[in-house]
Amino acid sequence: MSMKSADAALRATAPARAAAPVRTLARPSLLASLAPALLGLVVPGAFLVLWWGVVAAGVFPPSVLPSPFTVAAAAFDWAFGDPQNGGYSGTLAQAIWASGQRVLLGYAIAMALGVAIGVPTGASRLMGHLVDPFIHLLRPIPVTAWVPLSLVFFGFGFKGAVFLVALGSFFPIVVNTIEGVRGANRSLVKVGRMLGARGWRLLWYFILPASLPSVFVGLRLGMGISWVLIIVAEMMSVKSGIGYTLLDAYSFGRFDVVIAAMIVLGVMGFLSDRVIVAVQSVALRWHREVSIHAEQ
Amino acid sequence: MPSNETRDSDAILRCERLDRTFVSRDAGENRVLQDINFEMRKGEFVVLIGPSGCGKSTLLNIIAGFDRQTAGLALIDGRPIAGPGPDKAMVFQDYALLPWLNARENIEIGLKMQRMPAAQRTETALRFLELVGLAEAAERPVYKLSGGMQQRVSIARALALEPKVLLMDEPFGALDAFQRAIMHKELVRIWRATQATIIFVTHSLEEAVFLGERVVAMTPRAVGLTGELRIDMPRPRDPLSPEFAAVKRRLFEMITSHLTEEVAVFAE
Repeated sequence: MSMKSADAALRATAPARAAAPVRTLARPSLLASLAPALLGLVVPGAFLVLWWGVVAAGVFPPSVLPSPFTVAAAAFDWAFGDPQNGGYSGTLAQAIWASGQRVLLGYAIAMALGVAIGVPTGASRLMGHLVDPFIHLLRPIPVTAWVPLSLVFFGFGFKGAVFLVALGSFFPIVVNTIEGVRGANRSLVKVGRMLGARGWRLLWYFILPASLPSVFVGLRLGMGISWVLIIVAEMMSVKSGIGYTLLDAYSFGRFDVVIAAMIVLGVMGFLSDRVIVAVQSVALRWHREVSIHAEQ
Repeated sequence: MPSNETRDSDAILRCERLDRTFVSRDAGENRVLQDINFEMRKGEFVVLIGPSGCGKSTLLNIIAGFDRQTAGLALIDGRPIAGPGPDKAMVFQDYALLPWLNARENIEIGLKMQRMPAAQRTETALRFLELVGLAEAAERPVYKLSGGMQQRVSIARALALEPKVLLMDEPFGALDAFQRAIMHKELVRIWRATQATIIFVTHSLEEAVFLGERVVAMTPRAVGLTGELRIDMPRPRDPLSPEFAAVKRRLFEMITSHLTEEVAVFAE
C-alpha cells in the first residue's frame, strides 16, 4: 500500500521523464552487419562473370586465357594434388613457405635497420645531415637495378632474394621513421626532457612511441614492396617459390597456373597487410582514439 | 617592503637583470624580457600576469630550462638553471600527457626517469593521484578522461617529481568556466597540502586574484617587471565579493596604466 503510493508520488513528480521516449540502441540485424562484406563481393563477382564471358566468347585462345573454372582447378591441384603426379601438383605449400621465409627475413632486416637508422636520423640534426642525403640519393634507384650487384655479391638463391626484399622495404620504413620522429609532438618531447629523460631514454620512452603512427605507415608500404621484390628475385635468380613457379608455368604455357600464382600473391600480400594492421590496431589504440577525439 | 623581505637566503628562485632578445631575419631584434629581477621564497604561490606578448611565458620557459636568457642570471637554489629537469616541473596548457599510457603510468614514467624502483613508483603515483582526486581513474587511458581530469593527472605527474618549483603555463586555459572554477579551488587545496612553490602564468585577472599570494604583472616592451601586488585576502576567496572585485580593479589598473597607448585602447 505504502509502496504503491510512493510509486504514484514518484510518477507524479516525474511525469516528463515517464513520458520521454525510451531510446535504445537498436542492435543491427545480421543482414545489415553483413551488407558491407556482401557489397565488397559484388565487383569481384562481376569481374569473374566478365572474365568467364570473354573466355566463353572465344576472344582469346583458351590456352592463353583459361576460364575461371580452369584456374580454380589448377589452383586446387597446386594446393592439394598428389605430388606423385609431378608438375605443380601439391607444391603450393612449399612455394608459399619458400617465398614467405625470404619475405619475412628480408622484411625483418629492413624493419630492424629502418627503425634503428631512422630514429637517430630523425632525432639528431647531425645524424640527419649525415644520413639524409645518402638515403635520398639511393632511394630513387629502382631496386630491380640492384639485381646484377646482388647476383655478384649474394649469388643465386636465398641470400640474394633476402637482400632485394630487405633493400626495397628498407626505404619506405626508414623514410617514414625519420619523418615520424621529426614530426613527434614537440610538447611530448619537452615533457620527456622535463621528466629528466636524456639520450636513448628520451628516444625510447617518448620519441619512438610518439612516432609509431608514421613508422607503421612505412611498415605497411614496406610489406607491399616486399612481395613485389620477392617475385622479381625469384624470377631472376631463385629456383623455388611462387615467383619461380609463375615464371616456370609461363615458360610451359600453363597460364592457368600463372593466373593461380597471381591470385596466391594477391592473397599473401593482402593477408600480410592484415597482420600488420592488426598489430597496429593494438599498438596504436591510443592513436586511433586520439584521432577520433580530434575529429569531434 | 616585500622585495626586501624576499631578498633573504630562503629564496628558492632568483632572476637577476634577466634579458631575453629574440633575433629573427624579418622582425629584427625583439627584446621580450629586459632587466627582470624576480625572487620567490619556498612555498610561495606567485601568479605572473600580463597581456599577450608581455614575456611571461618566455620567463617561465627560462625558469623551466626550455629557453635560455640572453643576459643576466637565473638561479634555482643558488645554482644557475642549465636545461630542463624534474626540479622545475611544468604543467602545460595542453596537458601533454603521453596518450599511450594510462593515468598511473603517466605519473610513473617521470619517476622511472628518476630511477625510482618499480614498487615505490606505483605507490607514489597512486598517492599523488589520490591527492588530485583521481584515485579511481588510475588505470584509465588518459584520452578517455575529460580536460579537467587530464590536467589533474598532469599536476599529479609534476608534483610526484617533488620539484623545487612547480611551473604552470596557463594550465586551465582550455577548460570551460565551471571546470576552471573547480580546478582553482582544487589547486589551492593541493598547494596547501603539499606546500609546493608555484609560479602560475595567466592573463586572467580573476584567476590571478583567486590564486595568488603575490601577483607579478608584466607588460610588453617594459623594462623590468611592471608591478607587484600582495594579496592578503583570506581563503577561500569569493570571486563575487566586493573585496575581490576591488583587488581585481587595482590589478587591472596597474597593468593598463603601463600599457602603451595603442595597446591600452584595445584593452578598453
